[in-house]
Amino acid sequence: MTPIKIENPVIEVEDLRFYYGDSRAIHGVDIAFPEKQVTALIGPSGCGKSTLLRCFNRMNDLIDISRVEGKVLLDGQDIYDKNTDIIELRRQVGMVFQKSNPFPKSIYENVIYGLRIAGEKDKSFFDERVETSLKGAALWDEVKDRLHDSALGLSGGQMQRLCIARAIAVNPKVILMDEPCSALDPKSTARVEELIGELRENFTIIIVTHNMQQAARVSDNTAFLFEGNLIEYGLTEQLFVKPQNKQTEDYITGRFG
Amino acid sequence: MKPVYLKKVKRNDRLASWAISIGGLAIIFCVIFILVLIVEVSLPLFMSPTARQIARVESGFVSSNVQVLAVGMDDYLETAYTIDAGGTIRFINLADGRELEQIRLRPAEADKRLLAVENFGRLNHVLHWDDGSLSVEQVKFSPFYDAADNNRRSIRHTLESRGEFPAVPQQVEQSLARVNDEGRQTRVDLFADGRLEVQQREVTENFLGEEEVTESSEILELNGAGQLSALVLNDSGTQLYAGTATGELLHWSLEESGEANLVDHLQAFADQRRITALSMVFGDVSLAVGDERGQVSTWFGVRGDSSGKRTLTRIHQLTGHAAPVDKLSHSLRDKTVLSRSGDGLHLDYMTSERFLLGFNPPGGISRYALTARGDGLVALGENGDLLSWRLFIPHPEISLKTLFGKVWYEGYDQPEYVWQSSAASDDYEPKLSLTPLIFGSLKGTFYAMLFAVPLAIFGAIYTSQFARPKLRGMIKPAIEIMAAVPTVIIGFLAALWLAPLIESSLGSVFLSLVLLPAALMLCILLWQAARKLEPLKQVERGYEFLAVIPIIIGAVALASTLGPGLEQWLFAGDLKQWLFSELGTRYDPRNCIIIAFAMGFAVIPIIFTIAEDSLSNVPNSLKAASLALGASRWQTVWRVILPSASPGIFAGTMIGFGRAVGETMIVLMATGNTAIMDLSIFNGMRPLSANIAVEIPEAPVDGSLYRVLFLSAVILFILTFIVNTVAEIVRQRLRAKYGRF
Repeated sequence: MTPIKIENPVIEVEDLRFYYGDSRAIHGVDIAFPEKQVTALIGPSGCGKSTLLRCFNRMNDLIDISRVEGKVLLDGQDIYDKNTDIIELRRQVGMVFQKSNPFPKSIYENVIYGLRIAGEKDKSFFDERVETSLKGAALWDEVKDRLHDSALGLSGGQMQRLCIARAIAVNPKVILMDEPCSALDPKSTARVEELIGELRENFTIIIVTHNMQQAARVSDNTAFLFEGNLIEYGLTEQLFVKPQNKQTEDYITGRFG
Repeated sequence: MKPVYLKKVKRNDRLASWAISIGGLAIIFCVIFILVLIVEVSLPLFMSPTARQIARVESGFVSSNVQVLAVGMDDYLETAYTIDAGGTIRFINLADGRELEQIRLRPAEADKRLLAVENFGRLNHVLHWDDGSLSVEQVKFSPFYDAADNNRRSIRHTLESRGEFPAVPQQVEQSLARVNDEGRQTRVDLFADGRLEVQQREVTENFLGEEEVTESSEILELNGAGQLSALVLNDSGTQLYAGTATGELLHWSLEESGEANLVDHLQAFADQRRITALSMVFGDVSLAVGDERGQVSTWFGVRGDSSGKRTLTRIHQLTGHAAPVDKLSHSLRDKTVLSRSGDGLHLDYMTSERFLLGFNPPGGISRYALTARGDGLVALGENGDLLSWRLFIPHPEISLKTLFGKVWYEGYDQPEYVWQSSAASDDYEPKLSLTPLIFGSLKGTFYAMLFAVPLAIFGAIYTSQFARPKLRGMIKPAIEIMAAVPTVIIGFLAALWLAPLIESSLGSVFLSLVLLPAALMLCILLWQAARKLEPLKQVERGYEFLAVIPIIIGAVALASTLGPGLEQWLFAGDLKQWLFSELGTRYDPRNCIIIAFAMGFAVIPIIFTIAEDSLSNVPNSLKAASLALGASRWQTVWRVILPSASPGIFAGTMIGFGRAVGETMIVLMATGNTAIMDLSIFNGMRPLSANIAVEIPEAPVDGSLYRVLFLSAVILFILTFIVNTVAEIVRQRLRAKYGRF
């Protein structure tokens, strides 16, 4: 495995093991994610890439029977420490889901949801943040005239970009993306991929994808997971061009998966 | 797919869609059919009365030089009779106009003539002879089977003398006489010089069994009233009313022999109109007053102030005539008032102020009489024709106003909404106002919902969002089993166990309403502070709710210990007495607190189940989105889950509401079934549903009460229909707003 040099790791994972009840899904992963870069997690279905992603904002806590061992350090702080405030953690580590899930509220209310629940009440601050977030998610021009219409009236691609806008409105350090384009048509996918390229200016992005072309297009680094193990992790151009591991090569050349 | 098989699939598809359509349509049809059935029973309430002329006997049956002074008819509408000035009663077969019999009233004194005849009671006639004497005769009809005539049904006519009053020397303007069942005879004479004299004769038996006769005679005090223009005496001869030519009304009580008492004297009409006719209304409580302007009003004594003295007050205004009213009389069956004027005879119902029928035959009406059962009218025209009608007056006491409005009933001090379908005597006014019943339905529902809705919805939120899945799997079926408890058992427990319990420890109940939430809050705060401490950290999360049980038990125990002391200290030992004396609220043992608990128990499972389902069905992706943005569990529930589940929660609440409105058994058993209009939680009510259950077994089929009960069923039907329709519309709109997932 090629160790890549990480200058400013935002998230460092040390020997992470994850259990669903008695069965272990992740068998001791060590990985670190550099600041303001896009890192793709690839691997065949069921390899644990989504589970790993959800460990970074403790979304796995919702599963009753799950258990985590090992450490995940966000800016040097272990997020699985008993004193960690999950709410604060999730404000720093935003998430975009596979299926777009806007709230049944207006576009405006969707974007400021994260601010509202944090107790923010300033209307002008909301207005400003809605505009910057929607611009950041490349949605502003399409919806600026109907901000108070229901978000459920948007197209699938627009909804997903709205979810991205909603995630960046609270200004997180990291954005986790769990197959964000899997439910989108090619044109919308292109828009979102373009957007990911823009977002890396300001955010650290970790994206799970089963689409290797997409990983190659959008990411700086790529990690290949297989059966709960990190097989290979490196710069995207190196991993796709000269994979060090046989399994990686088999996977990216389409021999399995 | 094989073509044969494809054909079979398509055929089955068609069959299934037919079967489903037929089933659905059948349900709709059944519901509509039920509605049609109950509407059909209740609709005749609003039918107009009709009269059918059944006989007309041409003039000439009586010689034209003898004036007919009174007419009458038997209950079978077969035989009519006339009393003429010559003192002869003739019985006439109405079917063919044949004269059946003639009876000479005073056969020994052939030269005596009658001046006037006054009718009262059941075929009683006061005969006013030209020598100033009066006699009271009752005509009796008794059917028998004539053995001489092939056992044909025939009717025997007899006269029974009920009293004689000797002649008075002076010229008499008008005389009234009554003989009551105890043998008391009362005679009132208005003399030409304006004096009004009362003579009373009472025969009583003393303790030795000897008859004692008390006689008295006195001139009544007129209190400076104007010229008397109308007089009426009630059937028992104890109350005398007079009207004057200048619109005054006078009322004397003749209860005490020889001590007549002017009870009331008032200027009834400010414009001093002449009072032209007076009559009692059946039951002898109300007085009908006709005047020269053709108006008919009814009056009775009302306690106006705290002194307790009753003053005659105008209560109902009936449909007027175009000409002065010259005669008033009443039905012997209900509160129908007959008034005759130049423009004909009117039948009006007092309570409902409904105009029932009008008669104005070409020959005019000079004499008339209503049968005792109120279903036949016989009249003598000015031209001497004898006419009779069969009357069909189905429900005279029912009008929209008596059903829903405030009505001033006899004996009440102001108009009120009253439901009182039966009474001890036959001459009562039926009081069939549905307003207190609708009020009762809504009141019971309101208190039940006040108790049930928060519990059910918070319970559903806890179960669906906070409880562990294992726990949820136990709670939900347990609550659903609550819905299967027969309501008669809930009602039984509420009435016989809960009601006495709450009554005996009212102070503790209220105290626990404060202590219970307070104790829970305190314990939650303590837990919040203590949960981070080292030993408590090890306690498995998710079972904290178990700690609630001892807290509830402790709080209730504390409340029941402190309750009596608190009552002693704050409310002088008796909260119920304090409520009555300080707040004016009576405490009924079966009240809305009981109803809130018992009906709440029946409604909670419905609201809970539907609300829980809709909360659980909110997609997890929404929950995850909210949590991933840093929302707490409660923020997620409040801002995302609840709005998304709101259509379902609303629908559940409305279905619970519909259930509570229609609930019968619990309210029947656990409320006092008192049809009062009082919002207080400390007394009961009578809802529409329980009222139907209570009264339908005693309502005569097709009677007014029976039909009104069906009408209340229609109202109940419409009420639930409206609630369900509104619920569905709101649900659809909420779903359009929050739905999609």
